[in-house]
Amino acid sequence: MLDKTPSDGPDAAQRPEADTVGPYAVPITLRVNGMTHTLSITPETTLAQALREQLDLTGTKIACDRGACSACTVWLDGAPVCSCMVLAIDVGAREVTTIEGLAAGEALHPVQAAFIEHDAIQCGFCTPGLIMSCVALLRRNPRPGEDEVRTAISGHLCRCGTYPHVLSAVLAAARAAES
Amino acid sequence: MNGFEWMSPGSVEQAARAASATVATAMARRSGTPAADAAVLKAGGIDLLDLMKEGLLAPRRLINLRTLPGLDRIEPAGGGLRIGPNVTLAQLAAEGRLRTRWGALADAAGGAASPQIRQLATLAGNLLQRPRCWYFRSRAHHCVRKGGDTCFAFAGENQYHAIFEHNGCAIVHPSTCATALVALGAGLKITDRAGAKRTVSLEEFFVLPELELQQENRLASGEIVTAVELPEQRASVRSVHLRYAETESFDWPLADVAVVLDLAEGVCRKAAIVLGACAPAPHRARAAEAALTGQRIDEALARAAAHAALQGAMPLSRNAYKVPIFEALVRRAILAVLAA
Amino acid sequence: MPEDVRTRSYPVGIAGVALGELERSVPDDEAPPLPPNARLNAIGRSTPRLNGPAKVTGRATFTVDVKLPGMLHARMLRSAHPHARILSIDTRAAERQPGVRAVHVIEHPLGRANEIPSPGEPDAAHRRVRYVGDPIAALAAVTPQAAQAALERIVVDYQPLPFVIDLEDARQSDAPRVFDRPVRTEFFLGPAPQLPQHGNVHGPDTSASRGDAAAGLRAAELVVEGEFRTQVQTHCCLEPHALVADWRRDGLTVYISTQFTAGIRAELAEAYGLPLNRVRVVVDAMGGGFGSKSRIGNYVLAAVELSRKAGAPVRLALDRREEQIDSGNRPSTVQRIRLGARRDGTLTGVAIEAYGSAGVALGASVGNFAQSIYECADFALEQSDVFTHAGPGCAMRAPGNVPGAFAYEQVIDELAERLGLDPITLRERIDPSPLRREQRRCGAERFGWSRRQPPGSSPGTLKRGLGMAQSHWPALIQINSSCEVRILRDGSVEVRSSVQDIGTGITTVLAQVVAEELGLTPQAIAVHIGDTDFPAGPPSYGSRTTASITPPARNAAYRALRLLMQVVAPSLGATAEGLIARGGRIGTADGSRSITFREAAAQLRNDQISAVASRSDDYGGFGRRMGDAAIGRMGLGGVQFAEVTVDTETGRVHVERVVAVHDCGRPMNPRQIESQVHGGILQGISYALFEERILDRHTGQMLNPNLEQYKILRARETPAIEVHVLENYQGNSATDAYGIAEPSIIATAPAVANAVYNAIGVRLRVLPMSPAAVLTALGRVPSRSAPP
Repeated sequence: MLDKTPSDGPDAAQRPEADTVGPYAVPITLRVNGMTHTLSITPETTLAQALREQLDLTGTKIACDRGACSACTVWLDGAPVCSCMVLAIDVGAREVTTIEGLAAGEALHPVQAAFIEHDAIQCGFCTPGLIMSCVALLRRNPRPGEDEVRTAISGHLCRCGTYPHVLSAVLAAARAAES
Repeated sequence: MNGFEWMSPGSVEQAARAASATVATAMARRSGTPAADAAVLKAGGIDLLDLMKEGLLAPRRLINLRTLPGLDRIEPAGGGLRIGPNVTLAQLAAEGRLRTRWGALADAAGGAASPQIRQLATLAGNLLQRPRCWYFRSRAHHCVRKGGDTCFAFAGENQYHAIFEHNGCAIVHPSTCATALVALGAGLKITDRAGAKRTVSLEEFFVLPELELQQENRLASGEIVTAVELPEQRASVRSVHLRYAETESFDWPLADVAVVLDLAEGVCRKAAIVLGACAPAPHRARAAEAALTGQRIDEALARAAAHAALQGAMPLSRNAYKVPIFEALVRRAILAVLAA
Repeated sequence: MPEDVRTRSYPVGIAGVALGELERSVPDDEAPPLPPNARLNAIGRSTPRLNGPAKVTGRATFTVDVKLPGMLHARMLRSAHPHARILSIDTRAAERQPGVRAVHVIEHPLGRANEIPSPGEPDAAHRRVRYVGDPIAALAAVTPQAAQAALERIVVDYQPLPFVIDLEDARQSDAPRVFDRPVRTEFFLGPAPQLPQHGNVHGPDTSASRGDAAAGLRAAELVVEGEFRTQVQTHCCLEPHALVADWRRDGLTVYISTQFTAGIRAELAEAYGLPLNRVRVVVDAMGGGFGSKSRIGNYVLAAVELSRKAGAPVRLALDRREEQIDSGNRPSTVQRIRLGARRDGTLTGVAIEAYGSAGVALGASVGNFAQSIYECADFALEQSDVFTHAGPGCAMRAPGNVPGAFAYEQVIDELAERLGLDPITLRERIDPSPLRREQRRCGAERFGWSRRQPPGSSPGTLKRGLGMAQSHWPALIQINSSCEVRILRDGSVEVRSSVQDIGTGITTVLAQVVAEELGLTPQAIAVHIGDTDFPAGPPSYGSRTTASITPPARNAAYRALRLLMQVVAPSLGATAEGLIARGGRIGTADGSRSITFREAAAQLRNDQISAVASRSDDYGGFGRRMGDAAIGRMGLGGVQFAEVTVDTETGRVHVERVVAVHDCGRPMNPRQIESQVHGGILQGISYALFEERILDRHTGQMLNPNLEQYKILRARETPAIEVHVLENYQGNSATDAYGIAEPSIIATAPAVANAVYNAIGVRLRVLPMSPAAVLTALGRVPSRSAPP
C-alpha cells in the first residue's frame, strides 16, 4: 500500500492566483496564549482541531462540531467564539486564548477557583468552554446580574446540569473581585 | 468537510470576479451531489461551514471576504445608517445608534444564535444563510430546494415549517435580522463581477418558492452585498422585534415579528409589520398594517391587527399551533412598541 | 461462624427527626459503626472535588484526548436505509485508499435484539440492517480525513426492504417485520425472559403482576383512567462514545469513555477469548454516560478488531450524528392506567397496560415505579416491546421509572382531585414509606405548598401552578466491588480501584472515606481509579457506585490502619487495639501518647502496607440478590415540588422553582449530592418540556441528529432549585451510603406535569409538553383551513 499524505501541492507559481493556497497543507502562524506557533494545516482545519491535534491544547473540547454547544469556546482577541466554526487559516493575527492560557502558572483564575468551590463541575467536559465564557463576561462586565450570566452562557450545553452552581460561582467570583 | 483552496482577495471586485457560484447554485444539483468546482464567497463562515460539514456543499475554493477592509463599519448615511456586510451580530446588538430608531434590528441581532456565534456571524451572512428545514439540511433527502423533486415537509414532519406562502417548498426563512430589516425598509447595496452596483430593497430581495425554488433571494453568482442601508426614520418611529422559541437559551424561533410604528400623539401614522419563521421569505402582514394605520392603538386594536395578520394562514399537518403563537406575538410586539 | 461475628450498635433513623440505635451482627473485620455525620471530620463535608483543578484548567485527560504513538483513526460505515438486506460488501477499493491500515466488516452486531438463528434458511447468509445508522463496517487510517474518504469507497449492495417507524403502525399485524423469528437479548443481569412474539410485538411481560387487579377494580368506589405517551429521549453525553484500542501481542489495553471499566474488561475478554489478566481497561476523566456507556458496543469491538488487524493503536470516537442515531436512547412508552380506589383513598386495584419501542432492542419498560411505590394488593402490569426500524434503546438515567412516574404520579393526583383530597393528603394515606412522609413534610413547608390554588384558577394569560410528585428507586449494590488502600512509608496514602468517576465525584468521596478512617484530610489521599489494573470496582450505573465502593474503601482503610497500628503499638507502649487515628496523629485514646501519621508510617518494614476489601452483604441482608448485584431492603425515595408558569397564548411552560427533598442513606458530600440532584431535575425538566428524537416516518431518518434541533434545557430554562437531603441511617454497611443520580430525575416530569395541570386545569398526558402540546390541550389550535 502506497501512502501519500496530502502535503505537497503544486508549486505556488502554477496556481491561478498567488493569493490562493490549498487544498494541500499550508503553513500558518497562530498566536495562542501569548506564544506564536507555526504549523502546517489544510484549509479545512478548524481552529478547534488545530488547537487539539497540532498544539495538544486538548482543554478545548469538541462536542457537537457545529457551534451548537459552545464546548469549544476560546477567545479571539478576547471575545468568546466557537472554535469549531472558525477555520484555523482564517484566524490571522488575532490572539487566541484557550483554557490553558487562563491560569497564571499554578495560580488558578478566580473564576476557575470559584468553579471548584461551588462545585460547578460534574463530568467536566463542558467546563473549560463555560469558564472561557464566564471569564470573558467578567472582563466586559465585572459585576453582572444573574440574568447577564445566564445570557453569557446561554449557548453552552451542560448535560450534567451544572448551571445553578455555575451561576453561583460566577456571581461569587464577581463579588470577590469587587471586595 | 471537503478540502478546498483558500483565496484571500485584495478587493471586493477581485472577490466578485473569483466567485463562480452562490452557495445556492453550488448546492442545487439534479444529481444530489453538490458541485465540486464551485468557488464561493465566505464572510463569517458560520452557515457555510455548517453546510460543508454536513456534506451539503463541497466547493473547490473559498473566497474570504472577512478580511477585506472597510466592510465592518456602521456609518451614518443621510439620516440613516450604512451597515457594512461584515458587521457581526454582536456588534449590532451592542450598537447604541440602533437603539434609538432601529431597535428592532438590535433586538433581532442580539437574540440570534448564541453569544459565541454572534461574535463570528456577519449581518450579510445572516441575511443570506440557507434555511434550517431539516429535510433541506439532511443529505438523505434530496429535496426540491437542492434540485430534487420533492418537498418532504408536506407529508412529513412539518412542525417547524411555513404557514404562509409555501407553494412548492415549506421552508421558513431563517433570518430574524431579515424580519427586522424588511420592517425597517432596509435596502442592500450589491456589486457584481463587472463592478456594477445596484441597490435593492430587502423586501424585493427575498423571493418565494413560486418564483425561485432553489434560492431564497435574488443574489446572483458573482454578486457581493457591500452594505445594508437603513433609511432615515422620523423621531416618532419606534420599532421592536420579538422572537419566540421553544427554548430561550439557544433555539431557532417558532415565530418572530418585527413591528415598526410611526406614532403621533397615540395615532399610528404608518405601520410596518413583518413576520419571520412563517414563510419562505419575510412575510409582510399588510392587513395588520392597514388595521393600525390612522388609528389610535389600544389593546383591542392590537388584538384585531394581530388577528388580521394571520388571516389566510395555511398551516400544514403539524404546525397549526404556530397560528395562535403568531397572533400573540404580533399583538405583544405592537403593544411593546407603544410602550417603547 | 459466631467467633467472626460481633454485635454492634448502629445509628438508625433520620437525623434531626428520629434517630435511634439498632443492634447488628456484623463480621468482625468490618470497620466499627460510624456515628452520624455531625460527629465526623471528613465524611459528610462538602470537600471540593479533588479533580477540580484538572477539570477547570483543561488538564484533565478525557478519552477523546488520549493520543498514542502511531495511533490510527477509525470511522464506521452505517446503513443509509432503515431496513435492507446486504447482498454484498466490497471493501477492496477502500483498502487500496492511501493511508488505510485495516478494514473490518461487522457481521454480528451487538446491543440489540437478535434473531435466534435457524440453520439452513437461505436468508441467514445475508445480514440485514434494521435502522438508519446500523453499523456495517469500520476502517482505520492514518488520519481521520483519510478514514472518512476511504469509508466512502466501501461499496454496499443493499436490497431495500419495507420498514416501519411509527409505534402504532408497527403494532399492526400486517406491518413490516423488524424480526422474522423470535429474538433473544441480553439484559444487564443475564438473558431476558422468553416472551411471546407476534409480529413486532414482544410480550406482554406480566411478571410484576400480583393479586387480582380486575377484582380490585370491580371493588373500587372510584376508578381513574388515563392514557399517557412518552417520547424517545437521547443521552447527549457531551463527550462522545470513544475509545483507543491498543492490541499488542502481550495483551489488549483499551482507553475508553465508560461507566464500567471492569465490565468492559470482562466483556472484551470473553469476546476475544483472552484471560482477564491480558485485558486492561482505563478511563481517566469521563464526559458523561447517563446509562449509554455501560457496555461494549459495536464501535468498541470494531476498534479492537482494527487495532488487532493493523498492529497499531486505533482511536474511534463517534460524531454527534452517530451519538444521536446509534448510541442508545430512552425508549418511548404508551401507558394505559386504570386505578381503582375507595373513598378514603385506599387503592383497591391497579391495571396498567404498557407498550413502547426501543427500536431494534428490547427494554421499553415502565420500570418498577407503579408496582412499588403505593400499597395495592391487586396490581396488574402487562408490558410489551414493539420493534420498529429505529436505533436501539438502552438504559438511561432511571430507565422505566422516568416514564412510569410521569404517568402514575399524574393518575394519583387525578385520584386525589376526584376524592377532594390534597395530593399530599392522599399520599399520606397510601404511601408506606416513612422517609417520603418526612420528605413531603419538609418539602411542603420549604416550598410553600399551602399557596397552591385550585386547578385553573390562576388569573390572566400567564398562569401559575404548583405541583408535586414522588420518586422511588431500588437501592442497588454491586457486591462484586473491591478497593485497595495502601499506606506508604512516607505517610502518604493511596486508594486503588477500577471504579470510575463519571462526574459524580466518587474520587472525592473515596478520599473522604479513607481520610475519615485514617484521621487525615481528604486532600492527603491520592485516589487512583478507573483502571482495571486495580481491584475491580462497581459500575457507575443504577445509582450504585457509592453504596458499593465506599464500604470496601472504608474497610480497606480500617484494615490497613490496623496493620500500621500493630507496627507502631510497641513504640507507643500500647496495644494496637488501644490506638486511634485522629487529626493526622496516631495515639492512645486518652491522647497521652501519640506520633504523627508520617512518623508512624516511617516505622514500616516495607515500602507499604496494603489491604483490599470487598463489598460485604448489607448487615441486615439484601432484599434480593441477582448475580453480582443485589437490591437493598429499603428503596431510595424523594419528593419534588415544582412551580411553573404557563403562557396560555403561546403554550410555553416555564419552570420557575423546584424544591427537592431526597435521601441517599448517609450523605457523603452534600455539595456533590446537590450537584447530582440539580442534574436529575434539569434533565427531568428537559425531558418534560423539550427533548424528542424525531424520526421521519417516510424515510426512517432522524431529522434532529444534532444539539440544535434536538432541544435541551440550558441556562435560561434553569429554575431556582433548592435541594434538601435527609440523613437517613439504616446500619447496612460500613458507610451506610447510597446513590442519588436516578432518584433525583424520577419525580421531576410528573411534578412539572401536575403543576401545569394546576396552572391551566387541563392535564397533559403527552411528552414533551411543548408549545404545540400545550396549545392543543387548551383547544387553541385552529383546525387546518386549507390543504398544503
